[in-house]
Amino acid sequence: MAIKSLPVPANKSDQRYRLELYLKRGAAYSVLGILTVLSLYPLVVMVLNSFKSNAEIDLNPSGLPQKITVENYVSILGGPANLLGNFWNSVLVSTISTILAVFLAALAAFAFAKYRFNGRNFIFAMLLATTMVPGEITIPPLYLLFAKIDWLNTYQVQIVPSIVSVFGLFMIRQYMLTIPNSLLEAARMDGANHWKIFWLIVLPISTPVLGAFTILHFLSIWNSYLWPLLMANKSDVTPLVVVLPTLTDSQTGFTPIWGSIMAGSVLSVLPIVVVFVFFQNKFMSSVVLGAVKE
Amino acid sequence: MANRLSKSLKEAAILPASVAGGEEVDGSTGSGITTYPKRNAHWGDVLAPYIFIAPFLIFFVIMFVVPSIYSFGLSFFRYKGYGEGRFIGLDNYIAILSYHVFWTELGNTIFYWLAHLLPLMIGAFLLAILIRSKLIKGQAFFKPIIFLPNIITIVAAALVYQSLFSTRYGVINTLSGIQIPWLENDDLTKWVVVILLIWRNLGWWMVVYLAGLSSINPELEEAATVDGASAMQRLYYIIIPLMRNIFLLAFVIDAIGSFRLFVEPNVLTSRAGSSLGTPEVSPLLNLLIGNLNNGSFGQASAVGWILFVIVIIVAAIQFRIFRENGVEVNE
Repeated sequence: MAIKSLPVPANKSDQRYRLELYLKRGAAYSVLGILTVLSLYPLVVMVLNSFKSNAEIDLNPSGLPQKITVENYVSILGGPANLLGNFWNSVLVSTISTILAVFLAALAAFAFAKYRFNGRNFIFAMLLATTMVPGEITIPPLYLLFAKIDWLNTYQVQIVPSIVSVFGLFMIRQYMLTIPNSLLEAARMDGANHWKIFWLIVLPISTPVLGAFTILHFLSIWNSYLWPLLMANKSDVTPLVVVLPTLTDSQTGFTPIWGSIMAGSVLSVLPIVVVFVFFQNKFMSSVVLGAVKE
Repeated sequence: MANRLSKSLKEAAILPASVAGGEEVDGSTGSGITTYPKRNAHWGDVLAPYIFIAPFLIFFVIMFVVPSIYSFGLSFFRYKGYGEGRFIGLDNYIAILSYHVFWTELGNTIFYWLAHLLPLMIGAFLLAILIRSKLIKGQAFFKPIIFLPNIITIVAAALVYQSLFSTRYGVINTLSGIQIPWLENDDLTKWVVVILLIWRNLGWWMVVYLAGLSSINPELEEAATVDGASAMQRLYYIIIPLMRNIFLLAFVIDAIGSFRLFVEPNVLTSRAGSSLGTPEVSPLLNLLIGNLNNGSFGQASAVGWILFVIVIIVAAIQFRIFRENGVEVNE
């Protein structure tokens, strides 16, 4: 809709054309303005409610706080519901899983992109075909397996099943295909071995795609709810998001403590949003690298 | 969307590529660091690629291939998690298909999918066009803000929506002045889930469509403009046909994600003390989890495979629809 580049039709007066443009522009900004409010408002409510007392949230769940209090944060950071531990569980699991997933995918992607070997195309095609299979299919057997080897309620049960990502493999491979072979051959001439070529040349060149996959994978593990709910529901290894909905009044046992829940939600969102503010373009281009293959 | 769900959303991104071209899969580009293996290649050169893919493949086989096969076998057994399993043929499948909750939850899943699909996809596409148009400035401002909901932790977002839609004092009811029992009525609750899905994913697909739009050669549009095509004509005859593969990708990924929906409806409707919502608003995955919690591992596996079949059918239908439309466009 390249309005500006359109030649002004000769039969239209300049004035009328301008009026139309202003109206269109007004409509466009209104739409975007409304969307801005809709996008931000739930986040604002989360922050506002985290500074209200529980009594106030009940009466005023979506407005400005009448009386600002930090009691919710005190309670989740030090009080009976110590969410800080769960927060660190989330950080630990997401970080380790991401490092391993990126490493394994990059290593395999390098081989698939830059080597010829027997079975390459077959293995790659099989890997792609499995992406149609919903991962949830593996839940019952994996549950039995992890129960048997005593891995339930551990960190490793949250990390190990998530470190292979066919999606990551594919995404990184697509990028590595664009690395010129001459570069690798030159390194080879200079006596670099396979590992050095991977580690010193291919990986540094692939930083953009590795960064993109890092973001996507980290977010997906950070958001991970169903898996830890089933496998790691005991609170000393449980990630933050699994604990959040369970914060209830210890007396009645079923009234949610909204103040703590909102403060905990802020805790779960804050690190991501802070990183997003600094690397927003990286976040958005990760979507593109991940979803759109050109 | 759940951990693995969102992961597979993205995993599914590869589908159309592999279907619609698969250019390098058959090795026509085939270039190596050099052309390994050579006849007199050093054994290290021959082994190197296998060593590079080994860690990935080993974990993939242990964590995905073997459990998938095992799960398929398990779906024909009655197994409580201990003792001997008993082969019962198709009984698990029959039990599930004749269980009314299965149909309720399948219906819910399809509702969640279809109800958000068009508003989300059309909205995101129009938004991408709008934000790219020369009509507005401030792309750098609007784009990240509309994208922002996508990085909000899903559980946190669902919990906040409980506040927004609370009956007596929630902002929606306060603004409208009507006390609508959003989260107390099952039909309304489902719509809240749909709103949450659209809210959280609008920016994601907008960014995808923006990338698609910017891959269109601007000369095509200019040429059409010179030939007197209106904005709508350019949209309909140039942009949309050229974006067909991206639409297909978006629709398939979104469908697969929708059938694996778990977090949004369950957290949104979580009544304290239970992590699963009531069957009236639950998605299909709840049946798998419910069976697992009851120790019915065979039935849980069977639900998983039914889910798989549904996903395949839905994806196949979409491929067909898009292909047919593609033929029309080319004519």
